[in-house]
Amino acid sequence: MVDGPVVDRTVAGGTVKPVRWSLSAHARRLLTLALAGLVIAIISGRPEFAGAAAPAVLLLAGWPMRRPAAVTVAATVTAQQLVEGEQAAVVARVSGQGGYRVQATIVAAPAFSAGAPAARADAGAGPLRVPFQAEQWGSARIGRLEIVLRDRFRLAEGRVSVELPRVQTHPRPARMDRRIVLSRLPSRLGEHPSRAPGEGIEFAGVRPFAPGDRQRRINWPATTRTGSLQLNTFTAERTQNVVILADATAAVGAPGATSLDLALRGAAGAMTCYLAGGDRVGLVIYADRLSWIGPGLGRRHFHRLMDLLVASHAGWERTAGLSRLPRAALPPGALILVFSPLLHPRLVEALRDLRERGFSVLVVDVLAAEPEGFRTRSGGLARRIWRLEQQAIRFSLTELGIPVVRWDGQSSLDEPLAPYTRRVMLTGRAS
Amino acid sequence: MSALSLVSDRARALVAVALLTAATIAWAAAPLSGGSAGTLVALVVAVGSGAASLAGLVVGDAQIGSGAFDPLPVRVAADVAHALRVVPWSQTMIVAVLVLEALHPARPWHTGVLAVALLAFVLAAHLAETGSAPRAAFGPQAPVLAAGAGLTALAVAAVALPPLPAGPAATALRVLAVAAAVLAGALALPVRRP
Repeated sequence: MVDGPVVDRTVAGGTVKPVRWSLSAHARRLLTLALAGLVIAIISGRPEFAGAAAPAVLLLAGWPMRRPAAVTVAATVTAQQLVEGEQAAVVARVSGQGGYRVQATIVAAPAFSAGAPAARADAGAGPLRVPFQAEQWGSARIGRLEIVLRDRFRLAEGRVSVELPRVQTHPRPARMDRRIVLSRLPSRLGEHPSRAPGEGIEFAGVRPFAPGDRQRRINWPATTRTGSLQLNTFTAERTQNVVILADATAAVGAPGATSLDLALRGAAGAMTCYLAGGDRVGLVIYADRLSWIGPGLGRRHFHRLMDLLVASHAGWERTAGLSRLPRAALPPGALILVFSPLLHPRLVEALRDLRERGFSVLVVDVLAAEPEGFRTRSGGLARRIWRLEQQAIRFSLTELGIPVVRWDGQSSLDEPLAPYTRRVMLTGRAS
Repeated sequence: MSALSLVSDRARALVAVALLTAATIAWAAAPLSGGSAGTLVALVVAVGSGAASLAGLVVGDAQIGSGAFDPLPVRVAADVAHALRVVPWSQTMIVAVLVLEALHPARPWHTGVLAVALLAFVLAAHLAETGSAPRAAFGPQAPVLAAGAGLTALAVAAVALPPLPAGPAATALRVLAVAAAVLAGALALPVRRP
């Protein structure tokens, strides 16, 4: 028999959850056939309809009388952090179900899609592995795990629902293999050969030997030719400070490929590429409030940046943003890569200000949509004016020395950035 | 069991459901002119709910669309699939078919055949839902099914046979009927329950 009401409680092997029992679809059909046959037999006085109900009544006699009132469920997720499109699984362990067979299904939240349900044919206690896939960046609950208990004849169904934990889904990083390198780099040890002589491995030239120089750097062919000791010189290897600015003030465009999606995927790609190259990377999220992390290195720093990226919220606010970005977020001489649809006037002002402060700024335009619904003549005119305004914004930035490149979100970032990755990018203050 | 055989089992069950749906409705409706008032309404309800029931079984638990980002046709399809799952179409069809049969004059053997077809429809729908093989799903219940079929036959026979005069033939037939009922009960009893 089913015991009294059971409330959720946590035990060593998981959480004890009450089971909601109901008739299965098969049992409901049998019950309908039985009841309809008997009722019609009584009303019409025709015993053959009672005969029609007999097999269904006999099959329903297999209804299980002893059903567990609660089961113990432990659900874990194989990964707490995912990337858009990545698959993971929920591993569920169910115990206390007696002889009932168990099936587990994920009812996925909108940002996820569920894989095939996992079922166990026997009544054992092995784990059930239900796959799911992250579809959209953000921090969200996966959804609900529905566990169904079924008896041998599938007449009764017991359902248990378990809320699944929250996981972080990082934006899918855009592909970027080549880096933009500035002509002037800060005096900090890194991997980029600079113009200054130093202790790197990039050959810079030959000069006469001076007392105190290391003998292993003597250039013997040059020494033989000139008759005096000549020494190889090398360039210094410096690091680069890169600040990625992601504009999260607007999310326009097709769902799943909005300007915000593209901005974050581009920012994630640039962060991954520069950190892999040994550069120091910082991040500024320009949204309803400014958030930033200063430049740093390493795997842990990468995760901090990704966490900030995922925490960004889209939304246009009239009071949003500043027209001057704080100094603390921008180390001197940093390269600033901006991923923006350039729709927010204050951000455009902030970019002009950055250029006037001597920063090297490059804008990746992620606007992939236009205003819709302009079917009338005046509407068409309004759309043309909007396009002209957008062109004017981009032209004014280019005139200030801020290159603006367009990225569609599909191709590699190397394509639009190719003119700037093939040679060093000259630094200098705007006139 | 391999995925291929699971699919073929389900496909076979779906074809069986489609054939049994058409057969039960046609069997209960024939002859259309022989039914009393309301036959046409019951027929329309049976056909509509039968088609919806079959569509619901075809759709199954498949997830249509991925949520808020879907275009309008996909969202409409998801709503239709939801309606197919929520409304008990197969139960509606069973009731409509029995009502359709009841609207016709008494015809015991005809009703008996309909009862067997309806039971087969219920079993086939269960197989289509679960994708399991008939032997695995109903093998343990074969005695119960046999007993049920025996009881149906007894009920139909009791109605169909003309009243017998008192005598040894009538006594023998009554003994035979009691023996059949006992046999049917004995077939049902040994079924183990979980």
